[in-house]
Amino acid sequence: MSEHWFERDPLWFKRAVFYEIHTRGFFDSNQDGSGDLRGIAEKLDYLQWLGIDCIWLLPMYPSPLRDGGYDISNFFDVHPDYGTVEDFKALVDGAHRRGIRVIADLVVNHTSSDHPWFQEARSSPDAPKRDWYVWSDRNDRYPDARVIFVDSESSNWTWDSTANAYYWHRFFSHQPDLNFANPEVQDALLQVLRFWLDLGIDGFRLDAVPYLFEREETNCENLPETHEYLRRLRAEVDSRYPDRVLLAEANQWPEDVVKYFGEGDECHMAFQFPVMPRMFMALRREDAVPVYEILQSTPPIPDNCQWGLFLRNHDELTLEMVTDDERDYMYAEYAKDPRMKLNLGIRRRLAPLLDNGRGEIELMHAILFSLPGSPVLYYGDEIGMGDNVYLGDRDGVRTPMQWTGDRNGGFSRADFAQLYLPPSLDPVFGYPAVNIEAQLRTPTSLLRWLHRFIGLRKEHPVFGLGTYEPLRAENPRVFAHIRRYEDDVVLCVHNLANSAQPVELDLSVYAGRVPEEMFGRTRFPPIGGLPYLLTLAPRGFFWFELREER
Amino acid sequence: MIAERVLAGDAIDEQSLIDFLRSRRWFGSKAEDLAHARVLDGVVVRSQPPMLVAAVAEARFHTGMHELYQLLLGLHAHDDDRPGDVIGASDGWVVYEALADPGLARELVHLMRGESTIRGEDAVVEFRAANLGGYGPDLSEARPLEAEQSNSSVVFGDELILKAYRRLEAGINPELEVLRFLTELGFPHVPALAGWYSYSGRLIDSTLGILQAYMPGARDGWELAMDEIGSSSDRFLARLRRLGEVTGELHGALASDSLDPDFAPEEPSSESLALVVATVDEEIERIFLGLPEDERLEPIAGRGEEVRERLRLISHAGPLGRVIRTHGDYHLGQALWSGEDWVVLDFEGEPARSLAERRRKRSPLRDVAGMLRSFAYVASAVQDVPDGWEERARQEFLSGYFEYVEPSIVPPAGEGRERLLEIFELEKAVYELRYELNHRPDWVGIPVAGIARLLES
Repeated sequence: MSEHWFERDPLWFKRAVFYEIHTRGFFDSNQDGSGDLRGIAEKLDYLQWLGIDCIWLLPMYPSPLRDGGYDISNFFDVHPDYGTVEDFKALVDGAHRRGIRVIADLVVNHTSSDHPWFQEARSSPDAPKRDWYVWSDRNDRYPDARVIFVDSESSNWTWDSTANAYYWHRFFSHQPDLNFANPEVQDALLQVLRFWLDLGIDGFRLDAVPYLFEREETNCENLPETHEYLRRLRAEVDSRYPDRVLLAEANQWPEDVVKYFGEGDECHMAFQFPVMPRMFMALRREDAVPVYEILQSTPPIPDNCQWGLFLRNHDELTLEMVTDDERDYMYAEYAKDPRMKLNLGIRRRLAPLLDNGRGEIELMHAILFSLPGSPVLYYGDEIGMGDNVYLGDRDGVRTPMQWTGDRNGGFSRADFAQLYLPPSLDPVFGYPAVNIEAQLRTPTSLLRWLHRFIGLRKEHPVFGLGTYEPLRAENPRVFAHIRRYEDDVVLCVHNLANSAQPVELDLSVYAGRVPEEMFGRTRFPPIGGLPYLLTLAPRGFFWFELREER
Repeated sequence: MIAERVLAGDAIDEQSLIDFLRSRRWFGSKAEDLAHARVLDGVVVRSQPPMLVAAVAEARFHTGMHELYQLLLGLHAHDDDRPGDVIGASDGWVVYEALADPGLARELVHLMRGESTIRGEDAVVEFRAANLGGYGPDLSEARPLEAEQSNSSVVFGDELILKAYRRLEAGINPELEVLRFLTELGFPHVPALAGWYSYSGRLIDSTLGILQAYMPGARDGWELAMDEIGSSSDRFLARLRRLGEVTGELHGALASDSLDPDFAPEEPSSESLALVVATVDEEIERIFLGLPEDERLEPIAGRGEEVRERLRLISHAGPLGRVIRTHGDYHLGQALWSGEDWVVLDFEGEPARSLAERRRKRSPLRDVAGMLRSFAYVASAVQDVPDGWEERARQEFLSGYFEYVEPSIVPPAGEGRERLLEIFELEKAVYELRYELNHRPDWVGIPVAGIARLLES
């Protein structure tokens, strides 16, 4: 009998709301102090209630965990802290039964230096897997490739005294890059994809895709060879695994990112990185221009593709895709304590970034949900969890999920000292004040608001599938646009200012339609030939359905 | 040829299909929201005239959302004459509603008996039997039922009843799942499953319908209440006590297999009760937001915040017991009195909820609350209900239930249990209010009274 719990829909991801989970931090089912896959499975009722469509799991593979699991030492297993491959399968099955899909991070660019492939490769120049990594006896090849982790690495080459050679790495020196010029490597990674797809996974977030290949006299990013390999992955998925999704992490300018969609034959989705810092900028400057501009400079994408949009994630709020001036501005406004900076970014969670302002948090979600793309929420941000800047690297935004006000925030029944990271006891953001149970019971909580908001978005495919038509008003503090899909026309108007603002919008092409506010279903005066006047509360927003009188 | 044209969506013009869907009782959404309709796919399950096509049609709404429906389409030549509403005509053929045609309805049972697997271009329809051999071969009398429901049923010779699901959602229908489980268990208080058929293909995998034992002469609890409350009130109360016992046994049976992941009872997670309360609270908020002006709503009009306040007061109910698979839409109309004992019907769950919601494990007290609400309906519908009847009915049913139910799956007796029941009754009353407003405005006073009573208590 049917084990398929979804209508066939190759474009499901275009209407989906994604929810990113750090497995270690979500829920500890076996009281060892570390979250696990069974823990997530036990919380599926919550996720079903929340209304999300797809879980995105950070890497769950065996790893020495020197980079949060992005340093994989075995592609075909689950980290023992997280459980077993059977637990993973049970989680996927349980999620599917609730109408939730599951994708997971997959790092194809590199492995951990602990990976047996690397151990074999370094052992001898004649080892069969020697050529699976990129070796050199000089450390000055590919000089145009930038160093990404500027805070911890000074070069993309590191000397390995066992191998007696330098090896290439775009990230940490304990993460040697795989050599994709070697067809055996290409085939091996394809095998990895098949293994998880056969278990029922709904797709992958492909970490660090721009860096697969290297070539002299290039910056070794976005090379044609990389795109060709992605087309090969996609063809394999399309032919054998319908309705799965490949989501590219390519922290690049829009004109480079869109190449990862190919002609609809590479990745299904890619993150829209540059729009996110501009939303934060627009809010602080009370000026919609940065958002309008970045969307204007974003090229159109194939119909079968979608942007992934987010406010915050498990990494630092990345400022790679802004100008130097913009970055200085962002640091000055959002990282007043130097501890908050990391690499080219800011390691804080959403609520503290926005000074815990409820209006600001709602407004940023409203803009996020109104833009063309699929929103990706980060665990804990739905209740406004805080961060801990005194923890190292990005651990400050990866603290345990705050389920209840009980011991360890309901995350684990292990001893406090056993926990992988201390749950937050901050007087404002800590678990006694901010937790799922309390917010479920409080009708006015952020969690309850977001739940209704997700529900509203899901009733209107227009947000995932519709056009984006900017409406530039004279008042620069207002970000307004129209989304259209089939007979649904939606007007979204957002006030970025911390003061009430009037705005006049030219809606004359919709003359005769009646704006109906989408939350409270209040009907506004019909649209006529004159500019349509709206007054917005500080940081306020309106979403209207422009209804035809039938 | 004609069958191919039907499957390609060419044989029925769109407006005819829209009109047909709008006129069906089983069409679940608002008629005015329907923008487009078309046949997407299907399988010809009988290729001799009159032909029979099990088709999947899409109803598409103005927002771009859609629903899928099962159409059972008969095809007969123009000069033939068969019973059943005409949907379209093309190339000298008439396309019509097949379940009204006894010949074609019988065909579905024959296909189950033969365990046929029929392949179409993009899909397979599988017919399966479950102990169908125990029934007589004669299906001569095929009688479509006219009841108000979201499905279409046909009774064969007072022995079997075929139920074709209309709105299709991906996955196994909980009714098939639960009936199969209880039939295999030998649970005596359900009509045995006799067969089913399902579609799996390019669009969806979904249960299309089931066949089960029919109980001739049995009357449902609602009819029985109408007859007996006035004349033989005590006898009926004794039957409600027995219904409580049967319900307790039903929940025990549903919770009896800890190895089957679809049925194993589970410990609720720490936020389970808060999730229930949040869900009910949002339903209250939503329904009060759109409450129309209507004097029948007078007792609760503008009192949404009071209702939510009341919910908050009772929301700390303590332990939840365990969560199990439940009936999901339990009321007197779902229980049949066979003359000797009760038999429970209709395990689909509330039709307005998604399949994933309907399959979810929940506290068994949710079913109990549904039945208690149903006593309120009886008390309002019967002319001369004896004083205090509803309260006595509740007591009889509850004492029968708690005597027979497996104690580990329900909260211990006490205030917490009563509060939990009250939360579920409120949830049900809010659901009823929405249902009656949309479908049976004349009945709206009953949930209104239920909610108002909660406010006074």
